[in-house]
Amino acid sequence: MKVTFTAYHAVAEWKWDLPEDSDDTCGICRVQFEGTCAKCKYPGDDCPIMIGECTHCFHMHCISDWLHSESSQGKCPMCRQPFNQKVAEAPAAPLRTPGGVAAGS
Amino acid sequence: MLKIWSMKQAQQKEETAQGPAKKKKVTAAQLRVQKDLSELALPQTMKTTFPNPDDILNFILTLTPDEGLYKSGLFTFSFAITQNFPHEPPKVKCQQKIYHPNIDLEGNVCLNILREDWKPVLNLNAVIVGLQFLFLEPNASDPLNKDAAKDLQEDRDRFRRNVKTSMGGGNVRGETFDRVMK
Ligand SMILES: [Zn+2]
Ligand SMILES: [Zn+2]
Ligand SMILES: [Zn+2]
Repeated sequence: MKVTFTAYHAVAEWKWDLPEDSDDTCGICRVQFEGTCAKCKYPGDDCPIMIGECTHCFHMHCISDWLHSESSQGKCPMCRQPFNQKVAEAPAAPLRTPGGVAAGS
Repeated sequence: MLKIWSMKQAQQKEETAQGPAKKKKVTAAQLRVQKDLSELALPQTMKTTFPNPDDILNFILTLTPDEGLYKSGLFTFSFAITQNFPHEPPKVKCQQKIYHPNIDLEGNVCLNILREDWKPVLNLNAVIVGLQFLFLEPNASDPLNKDAAKDLQEDRDRFRRNVKTSMGGGNVRGETFDRVMK
């Protein structure tokens, strides 16, 4: 039997590379990290995730709104430690695709 | 090989060209409140009502304690949520004039998570559980009604009697309270 493909739909799946045992939703807007904050329309690079030194993660837009509010006093809304973005490893490869398929820009 | 990003960009461009959609926009606060309300697990002693069903940011919570000193009372609280929610806590007020160490005569509520301890990861359920707790365990520390706090601290029996009197619409220390017996 000979099979000829006439068309196919490629489907890619991606996930943020977050610290182990972190929640899968943002505690501020309660939407999954792979979805967007309430202000954004397009998930992914347009609505990135910010990881704190305390390992708590939020949509960047959500946490920056909080940090700009007076009542936050610069503290993480989960653990109340001063919120500082975790540097190094995290920003390098935000996208992880299964099977090594690159979905880069 | 995968064109999702360029497709996305094209889509974005198209929408910018068309201008923002005309339909009524659901705000971030509304979305979050919707989620909180859908996760609400209210016990039999509490219920929410929405005077304006189109406005989920303003609602009434009815509390009817079935134990403790405030048992058999019916208390209502107005919840007013701003567009800044969850960055700002909801504004909660007791709609009756009651005798309670943590609620003043105007209905303002002293609950740490409604003030200095608010954080956006807290939800409406946490606030409601907190209110319920105030009626089971009124506390004399950090009071809004100093007379009631003093009664509670010095003589629990006197406090209990005063609660009863006030709930029946009676007079305590020169103040007349609302009748709240259901
Ligand atoms: Zn978020
Ligand atoms: Zn966003
Ligand atoms: Zn934290």
